[in-house]
Amino acid sequence: MVHSRRKRKEKLENFLFTIPAVILVCMMMYIPFVMSGYYSLTQWNGIAKEPVFIGLKNFADIFTGKSSFLAALWFTIRYTFFFVIVSNVAALALAVVLTKKFRLSNFYRGIFFIPYIMSMTIVGFIWKFIFTSGFKTFYDATGWGFWNLSWLGDPGMAFWSVTLVGIWQSLGFYIVLYIAGLQAVPGDVIEAAYVDGASRRQTFFKVTLPLLGPSMTTCVFMSLTNGLKVFDIILALTKGGPGQSTYSATLAIYNEAFTRNNYGLGSAQAILYFLFVLAVTQITLRGMSRREVDL
Amino acid sequence: MTRKQKRILGKVIMLAVLTIAAVFYIYPVYLMFLDSLKPFGEVIATPVSLPKEPTFENYRYVADKISYWKLLGNNVLITAIGIVGIVFFSSVAAYICDRRRNKYTGFIYTLLITPMLIPFQTIMITLLKAMNIIHLNNSRVGLGIQYWGFGIPMATFIFYNFMKTIPRELDESAHIDGASTWRTYISVIFPLLKSVTVTVVVLDVMWIWNDFLLPLLMVNSNTKTRTLVLAAYTFVGQMNTQWQYAMTGMVMAVFPSIIVFIFLQKYIVEGVVAGAVKG
Repeated sequence: MVHSRRKRKEKLENFLFTIPAVILVCMMMYIPFVMSGYYSLTQWNGIAKEPVFIGLKNFADIFTGKSSFLAALWFTIRYTFFFVIVSNVAALALAVVLTKKFRLSNFYRGIFFIPYIMSMTIVGFIWKFIFTSGFKTFYDATGWGFWNLSWLGDPGMAFWSVTLVGIWQSLGFYIVLYIAGLQAVPGDVIEAAYVDGASRRQTFFKVTLPLLGPSMTTCVFMSLTNGLKVFDIILALTKGGPGQSTYSATLAIYNEAFTRNNYGLGSAQAILYFLFVLAVTQITLRGMSRREVDL
Repeated sequence: MTRKQKRILGKVIMLAVLTIAAVFYIYPVYLMFLDSLKPFGEVIATPVSLPKEPTFENYRYVADKISYWKLLGNNVLITAIGIVGIVFFSSVAAYICDRRRNKYTGFIYTLLITPMLIPFQTIMITLLKAMNIIHLNNSRVGLGIQYWGFGIPMATFIFYNFMKTIPRELDESAHIDGASTWRTYISVIFPLLKSVTVTVVVLDVMWIWNDFLLPLLMVNSNTKTRTLVLAAYTFVGQMNTQWQYAMTGMVMAVFPSIIVFIFLQKYIVEGVVAGAVKG
């Protein structure tokens, strides 16, 4: 008797302690997610009372190019590609330098981290000012054509400007992750490599780098998800222009729903975006963790 | 050159390159501060030189125009509500899911952490509609509550992984001494979660404080409920030719974060690293 009463009490506790979290997550994530799935099969302008069920027409429209979503997805892929590669290479290089012992090394780490604590919207605005007014002044002072390029006005250049600002904002984050990874590489292993006659370069590429596997997986994975989510910076810098050259998938979903009031089409894009992100992140994660080296 | 001289030379060159890189890196932030201290004419004519006579006139104007202190209060309120809820609901759920392992808690745990895979943009359209129905939009408290739902998956995951490292003997002995499950959580478990709580708080404060899209959807219609970033966004949009005010608005928006960072750099960096490695 006593035993079963305690069992029942435990069950009740299990329920009471977890139910608030379950309700909240359902309300904010699962229910809207299921709703998105349903709306993606409808046509709805947000004003009419009921969405009209139209089957897979929204998806057909996207794949036959009746919306600019595929182009936006392509931009997102290119942006993410350069974002991941440049962020990781630059962050690793800076982390190697910043783990050397010298005075003020903490101060330098702080400097590279500061943009990361600022809101991305603000970061976008600062750079907008620099690309326009700042660079013009540099051009007047130096006469170098480099400063006078149309950084935000030319479709080709705008892509690189947006990517540059994205990297600038978050580089500090990847630097601190790589620093933590480098500090976790045991000193005696490095020492042993030197004793065996390995050069500095060999030691770095053959010993340190493979042992950084877990950090690298984390950084590549985080930069991948952050790259795919790019939104605030673009909204502040270019609003997707010029001529949709910096139009990201997230911006496409946002505009389709909230500017053009095509909630159904927007939801269909949102579902495709979800599937795309899921596929890319899972494939990368599998591929990366298989290549990690254990000591 | 001897080997030692070579090594010193290498270090000097490395430090010089690093310093140049750091100066270039922080230059945009420096420029923003610089131009916020200048009148209009100077910002346009000489954007990159030092102000002739630094003035805080812009600050007075902007603080008044966007009701800065009110916005700062909104940010503090929304972030505080969000953090308290996320930490509390996630840690109790993780506590039960780890200590009472059975089919039910296993299912709940999976249910709680799976939404980490759902990008916010996938649900934002329908979220707005759902929040309209339950009246959590257009309110600062409502926005804070919404962050609970978005923050719980990751926080539960982090708490759960840490909970595994706390020896079960500790709460078992509390239990034998007659403490209830709740009492054990409050007096034994939660104090032991301190370091991981710092991680969760750091990650979530940085996220909620600077978040843009969710506040844009939920609290932007009324100037009284806006957050700092939203106000700066609108303000800079309106002032797109008056850069001196725009710069000042931006400085005022990021200033609290920079001050906090300067004082808590160690904890923030540690928290971010721990969060990324565990998440």
